[in-house]
Amino acid sequence: MIKLDQRFILDFDWLWFLAILALSGAGVVAIWSTTDGTSLNSYFGKQIIYVCCGLLVFLTVLYFNYHFFSDFITIIYLAGLAVLGLVLLIGRTTHGNKSWIDVGIFSFQPSELVKIVVIIALAKYYSGLDGEYLGIRELLVGAAIAFVPALMVLSEHDLGTAITFFPIWAVLSCLAGIRRKHLIILIAIAIAAAPIAWFLMRGYRQGRIETVFNPQNDARRLGYQTIQSEIAIGSGKFLGKGFKQGSQGHLGFLPARHTDFVFAVLSEERGFLGSIAVLGLFLFLCLRLFRTARDAKDKLGSMIVVGVLSVLIFHIVINIGMVEGLLPIIGIPLPFVSAGGSSLISYFASMSLCMGIRMRRYVN
Amino acid sequence: MVLQQESNRQLIQQRLNLFRFPVLFIFFILAARLWQLQIIQGAEYAVKAEHNRIRTIELFAPRGTISDRFNTPLVENRPSFDVLLYREAMKDKAATIRFLVEKLSMKSEDIEARLRRSKGAGLYRPILIKEDAGMEDISVVEAHRRDHPEIQLGPEPRRLYRYDKLAAHLIGYVSEISEQELAARTFPGGTSRSLVGRTGVERTYNQLLVGKDGERQVLVDSVGREVGPVSETESVIGGEVQLTLDLDLQSVAEKALEGKVGAIVAMDPRNGEILVMASAPSFDPNAFSTRISGDDWNELINDPDRPMQNRAIQNSYSPGSIFKLIMSDAGLEEGLLDDNPAVFCKGSAEYYGRIFHCHDKKGHGTVHLEQAIAKSCNIFFYELGRRLGISKIAKHAHDLGLGERTGIDLPGEKAGVMPSPEWKEQVHHTKWYAGETISVSIGQGAVSVTPLQILRAVSAIATGGLLTTPHVLLRAEEIPEGELKWPVSHIPLGEEHARRIREGMWESVNNWGTGHNAAIPGHDICGKTGTVQVIGNEKKQQAREDIEDHSWFAGFSSRDNPEIAVVVFIEHGGMGGIAAAPIAREVFSAYFEKHKPKMITSSSPAPDFVTGKGSVASSPHLND
Repeated sequence: MIKLDQRFILDFDWLWFLAILALSGAGVVAIWSTTDGTSLNSYFGKQIIYVCCGLLVFLTVLYFNYHFFSDFITIIYLAGLAVLGLVLLIGRTTHGNKSWIDVGIFSFQPSELVKIVVIIALAKYYSGLDGEYLGIRELLVGAAIAFVPALMVLSEHDLGTAITFFPIWAVLSCLAGIRRKHLIILIAIAIAAAPIAWFLMRGYRQGRIETVFNPQNDARRLGYQTIQSEIAIGSGKFLGKGFKQGSQGHLGFLPARHTDFVFAVLSEERGFLGSIAVLGLFLFLCLRLFRTARDAKDKLGSMIVVGVLSVLIFHIVINIGMVEGLLPIIGIPLPFVSAGGSSLISYFASMSLCMGIRMRRYVN
Repeated sequence: MVLQQESNRQLIQQRLNLFRFPVLFIFFILAARLWQLQIIQGAEYAVKAEHNRIRTIELFAPRGTISDRFNTPLVENRPSFDVLLYREAMKDKAATIRFLVEKLSMKSEDIEARLRRSKGAGLYRPILIKEDAGMEDISVVEAHRRDHPEIQLGPEPRRLYRYDKLAAHLIGYVSEISEQELAARTFPGGTSRSLVGRTGVERTYNQLLVGKDGERQVLVDSVGREVGPVSETESVIGGEVQLTLDLDLQSVAEKALEGKVGAIVAMDPRNGEILVMASAPSFDPNAFSTRISGDDWNELINDPDRPMQNRAIQNSYSPGSIFKLIMSDAGLEEGLLDDNPAVFCKGSAEYYGRIFHCHDKKGHGTVHLEQAIAKSCNIFFYELGRRLGISKIAKHAHDLGLGERTGIDLPGEKAGVMPSPEWKEQVHHTKWYAGETISVSIGQGAVSVTPLQILRAVSAIATGGLLTTPHVLLRAEEIPEGELKWPVSHIPLGEEHARRIREGMWESVNNWGTGHNAAIPGHDICGKTGTVQVIGNEKKQQAREDIEDHSWFAGFSSRDNPEIAVVVFIEHGGMGGIAAAPIAREVFSAYFEKHKPKMITSSSPAPDFVTGKGSVASSPHLND
């Protein structure tokens, strides 16, 4: 056993930890409220098990120094790629996404964990560079680290997860120092590629994007989900309709109401008070991560935290933005709240990684 | 180095600060949108949500129909309606309850109890208030659709067992799926309120019989009145199932069992198709199609005659003298009866210091195998048993399928017991006594069999060694033709050996043996009776009169061309030849009447023990 420094233990960030618990709890209650059954086999029961697993993972990861992970990152990264390859070969298809792998009695989405691996890999690579700005070569190597797994996830038809690799690369590259001319070139490429991407996109995704601009246009089909979600949130008013009382959720107006649209359920049943509280908890987490990034002992630590922060914010914005009808519908879960084990456990792991960085800021 | 690291850190912090404002701004946007939707436009959206009422009405799929081998329908469905309560449309609970009490003559405690039970369910799930509403209830609910929109009718097809108690054990019954079964996924695809098979064919072939539920979605207004349809997915009826059962024979068998406790099974010995499976007393599966009342259920469960039990497969009994057929097989296969030895029966014999009796106190005199079967002579089989030893007896009994399940496609089959020294060591942790072998030789002692096992063993003798898998499924809509295969094995029973046992069984029925009450002139029936002492002979004298022996009859027809095998078992019926044989005769007779086979009494040579292979004296005696 490695002896833990007492200071390290005293530095455990209880508020941060409670915020995570509060968010997970809000998710468990919303799932309980909007799905049937309370057995271990129900969504509710499973979510409780996932939270417990998440806590175990949290404590386990906390025990390890982040340098331990970064020292072995090449092997871990290659293993991650191998697992993604394996998923492509033997993965199970759910809702058109071939990103699940069956591990005995439960199934897991390895792409969620690979995100953390990519964050550490990219942080390790960028933090080892000396210059003030990234050269074109460094930028491309960084892109390769992030986008090889992203492309593998994309070929599993899991767009939602695949695009979350982009903010990791973008934000960490900016942090490592991107030259203005490179940035301009990249933006130019993005603008040029947008129409091509539009035509390559599957019809329903085009529709989802059009819908954001004009939901009433297509009220019974694509815009329908957006409108129903807005009705759910709006009709919750200030205090909400109460436990198991959300008509929009229970009558089946909300699609994927325990997963991607769980925030709509929460807003409908808990009202403005509940939804703003959840948003506040997320903001608190983000500010804590900012502070951790600032105070981290080394560049590697800062970079890892910023990587996690970028994924967290991206998920929050895309999911809540989608549910509030501000962004197109892309199937990504709300961190800690949505039903499902892979995302939840990965978030527990990444939070633990970051809290570990904070707690080790004075310790060698 | 340290300095560079420090400047590096500062650089990162500077860049980090650039992100801070955009992040706060994004959170502000998300919060502002919540404010807009929930506070500014909240009332507006609340109205929209009120109008947004889609009610989903489950359209339960009828289960597949079940028919007998000649396509006579046995189980169908009848339309029925349940009264449902939609709580979200209930404005005044007291008024609703008053309506239900006054117009649907329900008890308010009953309604309250049902409401309490469904507290955990979602508000928008209807609650079942009254099952299987009568015509009067239906018209009352229909008439008050406007003022009581919370009370609605839900269609639910119910099982209709056309012949009530007939073949109830074989067909089984259905009832609503339980919470635990839903959670454990006992029935794949089952949803809450699905009906699932509990016993018999309904259970075994549940997956073939279930249909696909549909649903109708209707738009309702804010007080719960239907405004218009949204969508409808029709239900799909479950697959048809055709049984091997012969309804006419079954009716005859059940009639013969009336007032008795016992079982009758019959099958085609060539392929294992069950033609008759009757168990008495029986129950009415229709009673389960609406929720069965607690009293009725208790009555069924606590009845000492256990009407829910399928005595043909779910209970095992001593085989008594029926077991002598298995002994004959063992003796023949082991070569002990090759030169047709004889035994002299003087009514009793002594083994291991104990006197064993024949049922005929006067004794049968000199008997060979065929006579021993026909007259059911105990002494012959005591001696045969002594020579064979328990291990060989057990081996041949197992070959004939005793002590193990037949594999019939019905739930809850018992395996029975075929004892052996190993079995006794394992179960009772005691040694086997040689005297027990003598008891086992005439089917007493620890041997215990189901009527179906006896039917299969006798069928194997009838066909010269074909051990079939008895089954009740003839055809199913959802199983492609030719894919339904039942395992058949050939046991080592030589045709010549089988012929000698059949000869004895033929004598038993047709030559004033113990089975003569089963004889039908003009038809070749072979059979064997059995009488099982329920309590010891001495005790019987003092015991109440109604504790009679169990009676058995097992037989088949015809001797040379077997197409039906029948086993009759009557609990406490008395002598097998008197209580069971005449019932078997009725079944045989119904079969012949229906199929009118041109069967001529075979002019077979008289059995060889009459003209004989030489005199008794020249035959080697067993009991020397």
